[in-house]
Amino acid sequence: MESNQFDRDITLEELLRGISSIKLRSALDQSLGASWSLRDRTGQILLHSASSHEDALNASGVPLEVELEMIGQLHATCSNERRLSTASWLELLLTAAHRYCMVADLHSEVVFTNYAELQREHLALQESERRYHTLADQLEKRVAEQVGVIERSQRQLYQAEKLASVGSLAAGMAHEINNPIGFIRSNLCSATNNFNSMQQVLTAFHSDSKLEAERIWVSSNLDFILEDFPVLLAESVTGADRIARIVANLKDYANIDHAETGPIDLNDSIRTVMNLVGDQSSSDVELRADLQPLPLIVCDRGRFNQVLLSLLQNALQALNGKGIIKVSSEVNGLQMEIAVCDNGCGMDTETLARIFDPFFTLRDVGKGTGLGLTVSQEIITAFGGHIKVESELGTGSTFTVCLPLSMSS
Amino acid sequence: MTELNEQLQRLTIKLVYYGPALSGKTTNLTRLHDMLAPQLKGEMMTLETEGDRTLFFDLLPIGITAPSGLLIKFKLFTVPGQVIHDGTRKAVLSRADGVMFVADAQTNQIYNNGASFDNLISNAGMVGMDLSTLPLVVQFNKCDLPDILSKEEIMSRWSQAPWPVFFASALAGEGVLESFTALLGAVYQNLDKQFNFERQHGLNRDAFISAVKG
Repeated sequence: MESNQFDRDITLEELLRGISSIKLRSALDQSLGASWSLRDRTGQILLHSASSHEDALNASGVPLEVELEMIGQLHATCSNERRLSTASWLELLLTAAHRYCMVADLHSEVVFTNYAELQREHLALQESERRYHTLADQLEKRVAEQVGVIERSQRQLYQAEKLASVGSLAAGMAHEINNPIGFIRSNLCSATNNFNSMQQVLTAFHSDSKLEAERIWVSSNLDFILEDFPVLLAESVTGADRIARIVANLKDYANIDHAETGPIDLNDSIRTVMNLVGDQSSSDVELRADLQPLPLIVCDRGRFNQVLLSLLQNALQALNGKGIIKVSSEVNGLQMEIAVCDNGCGMDTETLARIFDPFFTLRDVGKGTGLGLTVSQEIITAFGGHIKVESELGTGSTFTVCLPLSMSS
Repeated sequence: MTELNEQLQRLTIKLVYYGPALSGKTTNLTRLHDMLAPQLKGEMMTLETEGDRTLFFDLLPIGITAPSGLLIKFKLFTVPGQVIHDGTRKAVLSRADGVMFVADAQTNQIYNNGASFDNLISNAGMVGMDLSTLPLVVQFNKCDLPDILSKEEIMSRWSQAPWPVFFASALAGEGVLESFTALLGAVYQNLDKQFNFERQHGLNRDAFISAVKG
């Protein structure tokens, strides 16, 4: 690049390169009509006449000037006048060649600079693109990590919701089991006392002291005891049966005795969950079932139970201790519909719009996770169905689980 | 470039007339060609498009001989002023030993002057010229026209700048020689520093300037 600076001082040799030597030679031959030679500043011959240019070696010369400087000489064996006139047009030609040369060199200098600049910019762009890619990669990784964190937290929350509903179930169960255990224990205590009295009477009678036996009989009021004793035992058996039933319901709900998969009758699940809820609801709450035959379907029974329990617990909550819950099932067109209908407090439209939102709850802090319906809806959606809600403030609510018949086996 | 060719006893100095489009750079050179009478004066080489716009550059070569026998060649260039020719402008500017910034004194050219001067500063940086030592003279041309900035206004604007400011009317030949003389003086200072000019070549500042003027 250095050697081609457009504003450099140029040599005759360079200028002659741009001119056809054949045409120049013939023009000089004609113009001079004699032997001639073109020499650079140092005297070296660059071009000469075709014939006997040795003659021109010692011939006189005239300087050739381009841009103020002598860049060479024209030697010829002709008259000085002819030499001078030839030199003047040759200078004109060389000046034009110089002008062309400068512009061409300037042009390539500009093009080279622009090209170098473009390449620099291109490299800079590539570098910034590479940085962008690295950033994008990092961003993707971070997003994936965050998504992982969110998914983990979501699973934990859903697990928490399951535990909370199991917890409230367990609390209700504990209460229900405690009652019969209470009176069974009290009956057994009374029976033990009664047995002591009977033992004394029998012991006295056995040792032939009939008078003593008679005395204890009266003082212990054995007439009443003999009447009461079978009642105590019968009551205790009833209590034990009640506990057994509660435990059976619980086992049923928890799906302990059923295979994990395989076709199930949703009505069985409905009865199980209703029994479970019936065990722990107050006597002023009436549970009515209107179950039409349903086709057997293949689904996760535990999850369906979880949905029904959630709906029934909500209904109980809405009744606030008194009212009717109707659970019905039927096939309607291409789907099964399981409806839980209560005549409780109902919901306004504002609440209705938010009931499936995560963490939305009307219960006191600590009493509900606000995930019951969210999880229920997700379970039913995963089954390919959906949950419908109708509600009117002060009249009650109906939640309908709709499942496609295509689930049936 | 300040090329000293010891073998040929020749020193080449490159001076560049810079400035916005149509500010009169070529006119400056044309006037210098008419007014200067140095020992050697070449023909002016102009490369114009139609409508007198400089396409590549104008070139005026002049030369003087120092008492030492050294031939001092000056190559006076103009750059193309049009914004699109920035690549050419940069190439012409490179290797300059001195710059004449020809501004247009008309009030409606304030923006163009500023943009062109910024362009000069940035291009000078890109071609590796040191502005703190570069001889630079500012010439406000077209002072004969109506609706121009007053000299007071221009001077107050440029008072903080380290460069001398001249007023000219290049068409009438006014101010052209004065500003060129100032540039020559600044160039001489650099030459003297670089080559110990006065002692080595027997040419002091005044003699140098008057030899160029002729």
